This record gives sequence, C-alpha cells and structure tokens, in this order.
Amino acid sequence: MTIRVHLDRVLLERRMSLTELSDRVGVTIANLSILKTGKAKAIRFSTLDALCRELGCQPGDLVAWEPGPADRVVEDDSEAA
Amino acid sequence: MRAIGPGSVSSILKTALDVVFFALIAGAGVVLLAALASPFIGAGQLTVSGDAGPINDPLVIGGGLALALAALGGLLIITQMLRRVFATLTVGEPFQRDNIRRLRLIGFTLAGLELLSYAARAFAAAVAPGAIERIDYWPNFTAWFAVLVVFVLAEVFREGARLRQDVDLTI
Repeated sequence: MTIRVHLDRVLLERRMSLTELSDRVGVTIANLSILKTGKAKAIRFSTLDALCRELGCQPGDLVAWEPGPADRVVEDDSEAA
Repeated sequence: MRAIGPGSVSSILKTALDVVFFALIAGAGVVLLAALASPFIGAGQLTVSGDAGPINDPLVIGGGLALALAALGGLLIITQMLRRVFATLTVGEPFQRDNIRRLRLIGFTLAGLELLSYAARAFAAAVAPGAIERIDYWPNFTAWFAVLVVFVLAEVFREGARLRQDVDLTI
C-alpha cells in the first residue's frame, strides 16, 4: 500500500505558497513539509478539513492510494526510482 | 503527590539516585586508593574480617579489592544510566531510543554483577577456605528476576518510543 500526497501540485494550481497555507490552516511549515514529503505517519481529520477548506479541494485531490510496497507514504513528485 | 516537579515521586527518586551516585564514587575512590596503596603499605597492614578471624593474605586482599572495584563500577554504571533516564523524564521526553539502550545496559550490568558475585564466592572458597563458614552457590532468583524485569521494561520503552514517533509524525 502506498499513499501519495499531492500537496505540492494543489499548491501550484492554487498559486499558494507553503508559508501562506501554514498561516491559513494553523499548521507549522515544518509539519506541512513533513506531510508534503511523505514522512507523515497520519493526518488528523481536523487538519485535512482545514487544508481542503483553504485549498478549495476534496481530500482525494490531496491524497491518493496506489498499490505498492507496504506502509510507504510518498510525495507525488519525489517517488523513489 | 505529584508525578513530576518539586516534591514529586520522581524528584525524590532523582535525589536518592544522586546521593547514591556520589556515595558510590566516594566508595570507589576509597577502594581504588587502598588498591593503589596496598603494595606500598606492606603485608599485614590491610586486613579483612572473615568468619574464622582477620585475613591479611595479599592475594585475598588484592582479589577482594579488585572484585569490590568491579562491583562498584557496575553499580555506578546502573546509577548513572538511571540518572540519565530521569533527566529525559524531567524534560518530558522519556520515550526515546537512548533510554532503550540505557535500560538494556542496566539489565546486562545487573546480570554481570550477579555473575561477579558467583565469581567472588568461588574466589573466596579457593584462596581462603574456611574464612567464610558457609558459601551459598544457590542462584539468587530475585536478582535474575530483576534482570528479566529490566529487559521487559526496555521493550515497553521501545514500543513507547514508536508510539511517540507516530504522534510526532501525525499532522
């Protein structure tokens, strides 16, 4: 199981910086970076709710599931070769 | 009674550990001085009390001092590791990987001290027969059970560190 995080893509589409998103959702830039780079172990519904509200998207736009190596979370633009 | 902070159980235990640690250092210093001075003092000046009377055999004195130093060293290692575990507790970060290593070291040191006690009894029987009326070679089950308890606690801390990491990485 692999969970891909598309935060970078959505931020690019909305022309929003990570800093601005951090201010809007109340999550630190460090934690958003952890989420963006696929190092997060879990995401709270409250965080997902805030992200979707500020980015104007659905949860499925931010995260997607792909079959693959077990329990690995990757960022969509930086999958290991 | 509070869990952490002044007047808490943890602070009382930490104070006790500090007292024991510095007392052990003082004791080890005395034993080390005696060991270094014994060749210069001469035979007969240092004695230990046995069940059959005082013993001043240099081999017994020397071996006894060496065993005492080893035992004090082991106790110092245990005490210092416990002090470092408490330091992480006082800053609110007890479930970390370093504490797993420290608890395992405490377990191995406890086992080593118990084995050292067997060596001490065998040494006493070999070099000073009759000095101790009764040498008990029966294993100390309480000591070995304590070793088991410490290793189980190390595994508990390992799981705690994993859960803590999960919490830290939950956004």
